[in-house]
Amino acid sequence: MSNDSATDHGAHPGFSANKIFITLFVLTMVEVGWGLGFQHSPHWIKWGGLIVFAFWKGILIYTYFMHMKFEGWIVKSLMIPTPFLIAIVVFALMPDVSHNDRLVYPVGSQVDKSNAHPGKVVGMIDHPKPAAPGNEAPKH
Amino acid sequence: MSQATALPVRDVGAHGHPHEAAHHEHHPVYDYDSGPPVDRAKFAIWLFLATEVMFFTGLIGTNLVLRIGSSTWPNPENRLAIGITAANTFLLITSSWTMVRALHAIQKGDQAGLLRWLGGTILGGATFVSVQVYEYIELIHHGSLPNVDIFWSTFYTMTGFHGLHVIVGVIWLIAIWIAAARGKFSAQNFLRIELAGLYWHFVDLVWVLLFTIVYLM
Repeated sequence: MSNDSATDHGAHPGFSANKIFITLFVLTMVEVGWGLGFQHSPHWIKWGGLIVFAFWKGILIYTYFMHMKFEGWIVKSLMIPTPFLIAIVVFALMPDVSHNDRLVYPVGSQVDKSNAHPGKVVGMIDHPKPAAPGNEAPKH
Repeated sequence: MSQATALPVRDVGAHGHPHEAAHHEHHPVYDYDSGPPVDRAKFAIWLFLATEVMFFTGLIGTNLVLRIGSSTWPNPENRLAIGITAANTFLLITSSWTMVRALHAIQKGDQAGLLRWLGGTILGGATFVSVQVYEYIELIHHGSLPNVDIFWSTFYTMTGFHGLHVIVGVIWLIAIWIAAARGKFSAQNFLRIELAGLYWHFVDLVWVLLFTIVYLM
């Protein structure tokens, strides 16, 4: 495979797409292994690792494949507001997270659509029977 | 404005690149420039991508709110084919790499390399969409419709909108490939390829996050 560290106009010395690609491949493999291997571990371990791997991959794509590392100040400054806007969206959604501790129908509920017991949960797709009130599965 | 016509005209692009003169051969280019010190098209695509970041942030944020607010949430492994989607993820990352190679090829004036790598990118993107369509068909066949529960609602919304972006990207890349086959690009003229590449890498980046959130978390 030829060396793709570009030296021509518009390209950037020291940037090897092959190395980034291999790194992304390895990270994807490790991420899937982490997700499946820590499936029953505490969420902070499973989710924490997955988020680290996902952002690691995202930053590599953003920095090198999208050439952000080599862009001028105007493009970089163009993207500066987005993390702050994302933070605003997340904080705006926080009240819903803290107050919506129970959905009306747990995920997987099969609701009776007949006239006999309208709105009653008659089964669960992922569970043999609906969770009794006050005996729901541990909150994730 | 009439004042503008009185300003001196030069035969190079707005940013001093001689190759830009070809783009503006029917339009006078003035010595003053009130625009940003970057190509306008690149500025526009980054601005567009910034809005796209917010769009997918809304979708992902909604998913997380519904998920954390729910007393139960199914294990994605019990509902989704993680193995085949992991392979599909790798395919999309590969297509991003071939896109980089396509751009580097034309930057070196390698027309054949551009067509080859761009073709690989299109093939990767089209295969990704095909696998996703197959996944949808299988899921729907087993009764996993968007209206069954909130898991499927958010799943189809997020992956569906991303899939639409991939389809748009594939169509865009096919148009670029046709233009490349007609010899429209050179080592001095590759901005359209760069713009399409930025969009394609962004689609790849979004999927990296979606795959983690939807399939693994």
